[in-house]
Amino acid sequence: MTFLMITGRTVNQGVTVENKTSAAYAVETSTCFMHEFDMLELGLADNDAVRVTGPCGEVIMRAVASPEVGMGTIFVPYGPYANHIIAAGTHSTGMPDFKSHEVAIEPTDEEPKTVHELMEDLGGLAYDR
Amino acid sequence: MIVKDVVCPFCGCLCDDIEVEVEENRVVAVANACELGTKKLMGEQRMKNPILRDGNAWKDITYEEAIQYAADMLLSAERPLLYGWSGTHGEAQCVGVHMAELVRGVIDNTSSVCHGPSILAIQEVGHPGCTLGVVKNRADLVIYWGANPIDAHPRHLSRYTRYAEGFFLENAFRDRKVIVVDVRRTETANIADEFVQIKPGGDYAVLSALRAIVRGKTETIPRTVAGVTREQLVRVVDLCKGAKFGAVYFGLGLTMTGGKYKNIRNAIELVSELSRHTKFTISAMRGHYNVYGSNEVNTWMTGYPFGIDFSRGIAFYNPGETTAVDILARKECDAALIVGSDPAAHFPRRCLEHLADIPVVQLDPYPNATTAFCNVQIPVAVTGIDAVGTAYRMDGVPIRTRRVLSTGYPSDEEVLIRMYALMQGAKA
Repeated sequence: MTFLMITGRTVNQGVTVENKTSAAYAVETSTCFMHEFDMLELGLADNDAVRVTGPCGEVIMRAVASPEVGMGTIFVPYGPYANHIIAAGTHSTGMPDFKSHEVAIEPTDEEPKTVHELMEDLGGLAYDR
Repeated sequence: MIVKDVVCPFCGCLCDDIEVEVEENRVVAVANACELGTKKLMGEQRMKNPILRDGNAWKDITYEEAIQYAADMLLSAERPLLYGWSGTHGEAQCVGVHMAELVRGVIDNTSSVCHGPSILAIQEVGHPGCTLGVVKNRADLVIYWGANPIDAHPRHLSRYTRYAEGFFLENAFRDRKVIVVDVRRTETANIADEFVQIKPGGDYAVLSALRAIVRGKTETIPRTVAGVTREQLVRVVDLCKGAKFGAVYFGLGLTMTGGKYKNIRNAIELVSELSRHTKFTISAMRGHYNVYGSNEVNTWMTGYPFGIDFSRGIAFYNPGETTAVDILARKECDAALIVGSDPAAHFPRRCLEHLADIPVVQLDPYPNATTAFCNVQIPVAVTGIDAVGTAYRMDGVPIRTRRVLSTGYPSDEEVLIRMYALMQGAKA
């Protein structure tokens, strides 16, 4: 199924933002908030893993039902998980499409990676593992 | 010891009524701050000393070695990028601009992926804004559009709008109406008097419809606009026109969606339309505590607020070309100095792939996502905790932050001044 992915601030993202290598930050920023009917359709329960595929790759997140998002839309807190699949085009404004990406979602048995693993996949080297 | 009137260095609200309890040079309790500010003020996972990437390992180095490394990196680069700047004080930002000019680099701040589009709109049609105090004391209507202050600026509501007392309002809670416009039913939407839920991507159309209704052209509006009924749009306009003083606060819900700065332009033009009937203002909900200051410092020093390219020897500004995401995605820069931000957590992956290919030096108190892409990271004091400096609140009011701890970490300004001195010496 395809969805519109919106990213944004949450309190939990904000309180963990100065400790980005923590498990709490990884949990929050890898959460894919969805409408419960969409989860039903995909056969998902809270905290089930999902593969989210965007225009430049895929990333594993965990689905959580939220009354805040409408059907057909997912909300992901700002962070390295959403940015792993967001394209860098800015339409000559400097600003990528952080709130208007179409993504495909399917259930998976894979686990979400850690922030360290995501960074190392892109050529980085984890420091405080 | 309790330190009073501390300025919170988290978001653009720069709350200046925080009380911090310090024991044995540690923050043990924080009063008055929101959860975001409390966590930041009590943060303890600091990096202990500068580090250097040595193959597939990290080794500790001295500040002197780290600063020399950064200076050499910037001097030998052909097109260095100096990015970040929103998480530091104005005095450090000034040094950053001088450094960028000296090495003919590009200096950009986090507003290019935040309210940069808002600034582009303001450059087109102006900014009818005001200070937060004016809104607190006078506004009887507040509109949050594409903003969710309960999560992002938690005390905005209690200090200035929904739950604030107002000097010219008899019973502020009863007399002040709040409208929330969003694609999500956020927590903020739940405390609104009127919640307008727009279909994603529909902001521009709804703003245009509201402008038409303000102009008396209600008959031209279809039954629904981006999921919003005509009746609700008319009700919103009636609330706006009936207000004595209205204030619009918009967030990244307008800057990050399709249309980008054109959304903001339309919102500003709606506000000027409404100002033909009553008093109305509009302002951005700025994120980092000193992102506004970074725009101010850049503007008074170079004429431009962000994305400034010195490669021609003069300041050149062309968002989309001279902004950090674009420069990294095009694999254009050959070195990066990152100060007070974390692009590896907030930039699209293509940008990170290039960060992995070039030398990177970062000034940041904490290990963060960008640390993984650094050749050198230099830990610095946190402005507002163990360093003082000037920050600009979201309404453009400069506020001097206070120091509550003495840790021995150098401030961003101190490190950058030493780096700049080395660079000037080498150039001479």
